[in-house]
This record gives sequence, C-alpha cells and structure tokens, in this order.
Amino acid sequence: MIVQAKGLTKRFGEGLAQIVAVDDVSLTIETGELVIVMGDSGCGKTTLVSLLGCILTPDNGQLTLDGQVIDYAGQDLSQVRRQKIGFVFQLFNLIPYLSALENVIIAMQIGGFSRFEAEKRAKDLLTQVGLARRLDHRPAQLSGGEKQRVSFARALSNNPKIIFADEPTANLDSRQSDNLMNLVRQLRQEQQTTIVIVTHYQALQKDADRVIYMQDGKILTD
Amino acid sequence: MTHIFLKDMAYRRTRVVMTTIGIVVLITLILLLGGIMNGMRIQVQQYIRSTEANLWISAEGSGGAFTGFSLLVPEYLVFINHTKGVKRNSVSPLIFAHARPVINGKATKSIIVGYKQGKLGGPTQTIPNQGRMFTPSQYDDYRPEDQPPAEVVIDEKMRTPSGRKIPIGGKIYIGGKELNVVGRTKSLMFVLDTPLLFMDLRTAQEVLLKNSLHVNMMIAKTEPDYSAEALVEELDRNGMIEARTLDQTLTSIIENYVDEPMKAVQFLRVMLWLAAGIIVTMITYVTTLEKTREIGTLKAIGASDYYIVMLILKQVILMSSAGVTLGVFLAFLAANLAPIFVKIDLLETSVVAIISFVVCCSGGYLASRKVLDVDPMIAFRGEL
Repeated sequence: MIVQAKGLTKRFGEGLAQIVAVDDVSLTIETGELVIVMGDSGCGKTTLVSLLGCILTPDNGQLTLDGQVIDYAGQDLSQVRRQKIGFVFQLFNLIPYLSALENVIIAMQIGGFSRFEAEKRAKDLLTQVGLARRLDHRPAQLSGGEKQRVSFARALSNNPKIIFADEPTANLDSRQSDNLMNLVRQLRQEQQTTIVIVTHYQALQKDADRVIYMQDGKILTD
Repeated sequence: MTHIFLKDMAYRRTRVVMTTIGIVVLITLILLLGGIMNGMRIQVQQYIRSTEANLWISAEGSGGAFTGFSLLVPEYLVFINHTKGVKRNSVSPLIFAHARPVINGKATKSIIVGYKQGKLGGPTQTIPNQGRMFTPSQYDDYRPEDQPPAEVVIDEKMRTPSGRKIPIGGKIYIGGKELNVVGRTKSLMFVLDTPLLFMDLRTAQEVLLKNSLHVNMMIAKTEPDYSAEALVEELDRNGMIEARTLDQTLTSIIENYVDEPMKAVQFLRVMLWLAAGIIVTMITYVTTLEKTREIGTLKAIGASDYYIVMLILKQVILMSSAGVTLGVFLAFLAANLAPIFVKIDLLETSVVAIISFVVCCSGGYLASRKVLDVDPMIAFRGEL
C-alpha cells in the first residue's frame, strides 16, 4: 500500500461562503495501481489529489504515504514531494526558458541528483517518452503532446513512489491523448509506477485498475 | 546546464537591462553629487592655502574672512604689523569678493582678488608669454587724485560668453569701469570653477567699494616660534577685529560654502539610495508576482522556499553588482567630462558601492520573500 487516507477533509472560505471541497474521504492505493479519479467540475478531484500529493494540508484526517504518517506541523512537505511524488499538470507547467532536457534536469537537481547523473537520466527519460530528438527544444517549440511527455519525464525523474496527473489530456487533441495514454501504459509496464490520474477522458477507464467517481467532495463509487 | 537564474535573466533580459540601467544611473548620480561636493571642498581651500597666510583677520562680528560682511579700515594694518609674533611686514590687505564682470556685453562669474603686488594673496603662477602683471598703485601714500590702474590679470579658464579665450588687451567691465586684460594666470579656481580675477587693491576698492579705502580682510604670517592660536587670541582682545587661524578659516569656509548649502544635496543622495532600493524591490516584486505559476510549479515538484528565494536573490545580486560596477565606471567617466571640477574619492566610492549594493540586495530580498506566500496549488488549474 502506497497511500492510505483516513477522513481527509478540506474546506475553503469561511461562514456562509465556506465550501467543503473534500469531505471525509478515506481511501487506499496499492503500489503499481493506475487509479482514475473522475467527476464533474468542482467535485473536489484536484483538491483530493493536492491533499494526497502533500500540496495542501487537510483540515481533518490523516495521510500515510509509503508507510510514513505525514506530520503536517513538523515535517518539510517539500522534501516529501521531491522524494516520493511526481506531478503532471494540466497546463504542463514547464519552465519557459529551459529546454526539454533542462526542465527535467532542474527537477532532478532539486531532488538532489548531481548534474552529471541528472543529465544522463534526463536524456534516458526523454528518450523513453519519445523525445530523443527534442532535447534542446524549449516548451514554445514543442506541441501540446510533446510538452506533456516532457512533463511525464519530469514527474518520473526523481524515481517517485507515486505520480499524480491532473487532467493531463485536457489540453490535448484525441490523437495526442491516445499517444499520451500509450505512454502511461508503457511507463506502468517499464517502471511499475503508481499513477493517479484526474481526468474527464472516458477512454482512460479501460486501462485503469480502479476508477473513483467523486461528487460534492465525497467518493461516490470506487 | 547553465544556472537556471541566468537562463531566467536571459529570458527576461529587457527587464534585467532596464533595472540595471536604473541602478547605474542612480549610482552615477550619487557618486557625481559626492564628487561635486568634494570638488567644491577642494576648490574652496585652494586659494586660501596658496596664500600661505596663517592669520586671517576680518571685522569684528563678521563671522570670518569669507563668511560674513567684513570691512576693515586700513589703520589696522599698522596695528597688526606691530603685534608681537606677526611676521614683520607680512600683513597684506585684501579684497576678496564675488563679482559679475561684463565681457562682450554679457555678465559672467568670477571672484575678484584685490591685493598689493608683492604681498600675500596673489596668483600662484603667471603664464609665460601671456602678458604681464598689473601695474601696482601707490597704496600707502594714496592721494585722491591718484587714479588706480585699470588693469586686470585673468585666469586662463576665464572665457567670453561664447566660450572663447579673452585676449591680452581685451576689455572687461566691472562696476561700469573698463579694465584692460594685461596678463593671464594659471591660478586656482574657487568653488564651482569660479575663476579668480586679480587686480590691484586700489582698483578693487574703486570698482567694488566706490573708492573707499576699506578692505575685506587682512592676512599675515606668524613668526616661526609663535603659535597662530595664541596670536589669534591676542588680536581678538582688541575688540574691533576678528582673527582666525588657517584651520579655523578653512573650517568656516567649508561650512559656509559647501556643507551648509549642500545639505539638500546630501538629502538627495540619500533619496537616490532609497530610489535604487525601491527600483530593485519593485522590479523583483513584480517579477515574482509574474512568476507565481512558475514558482508554484517549482514548489510542487519539491523545491524549498530557500531554493526559490536563492534563485531570485542570485539575480538581484548579479544585477546589483553589475549596476554598481557600471555606475562607478560611468561616474568616473562623467567626472572627467563634467564642466565643473568633480573629485570622486576612492574611499567614498567604495563606501557608496557597498551601501548601494546592500540597499539593492536588501530590497530584492524583501521582495523575494513574496515567494513564501506562493501556494504550490497555483500549479494546478485552481479547480476545487
């Protein structure tokens, strides 16, 4: 078991304007699973992923990640993120002035890799995601699908225990989305990585080990 | 991989260049203003030191030879000359006054020095083959019918309104009187490059004091074994004159001509420092705001606050270093090209550079603290 969440709750705002984005959610994710989180806009998918990815601090509940109970008050969450978690964002979020290779290297340097190691591994990862010929291209010179591949390579770069991908296909056309899902399948086979994907893309369901539907901050079906 | 902060700077190069230029201009101004003040301090002392007098005597209550309005009657000459400790016959009556001589119909700035030829207070150096000294008048046995010589010796830097040299034999007008330029000196300038214009004491009395036989001050040397301070005390006991040593005179003239009027400039220098700090703070703050998504992403992928603050601080340090260095270079260049005497002191430059660097970096650091407020959630699309 890589993730165990018990009673996670996250509220935003105060008084009458308060929204319970994630409401007493408990779940477990096993190592190597591909979990798809679906639901309408505003149902709390991204908030749940942010809680599981140690980006947000819950108002209530407990999170255990890779066997370690997260101590929100005393623990450096950035350290947890760089050691155990990889993120893929809907808008790719690549650093615009760095090349594809440098975007992966920077994540690894943050993760504590030496420059030499980082460069070697970044090249391998980008080759693995099919971008061997695009190493020196900047994000502006890459297509949406290529950017998302760089984003996956970056997420994988620090050997994370789990990758959280937030709507990774939302800005891609169907062909690019299919290609990206082929990549996800390939990565699962090769790296045995646990992946949690927030998406509206129905075609992903057939590859998933589990599909979680959310509504109003709660898990409707799992 | 090249450092990320350098890549970021290259990406936002227009902003980096504009910020650096802002720092350069401000540092240059800070140093130039200091240099102008230093130049004034040097020039204000030059003439006084060049006279080699160590006793400066003015009218009682005038506040000093150069500070207030001082008129002395010539009878004091004998009294001072006979004071024990004053070097015999060293006393020199002097007129030292700002004037606006008219050259080719236009007024220009100068300091008139009226003195007795052969006595203290004359030019340090006449230029060979550039005319002669003025004809001395009969000062001691003055008779009203004696006409003082209508002659002046000008400084080589004195120019016509159109910027040309004034020829030997040229005419200038002071107090309506026509004076012939008979010689040129390579003398010393007074504050803000004001040239000294030498003439006979009687001529100065005629053009400035309507033929009154008063003088502004008397200067003298002490005998080698006598202390100037003791003599000053003794002369002061007379009650009608005010005597000062060389150091006292220098202190009061620097205070009167430089420090007091330049208080506003000193204030301006502090404001410029503040402006430099504000420029860096604002630009860094705006840049940080602009990069919130980028910062959020770096935080989401595990970068610590320290790592991100250091990315920004490195940029600030590089811009500040470049700005300060170029500012110092430009200030020295501008000092050489300035139309007035500017003396940029090396020690002061170091202090200004260090303070400016610290001010800019502090501003940048304060702005970079904004990073701490960036929520890594911004990396996501913001959906709840």
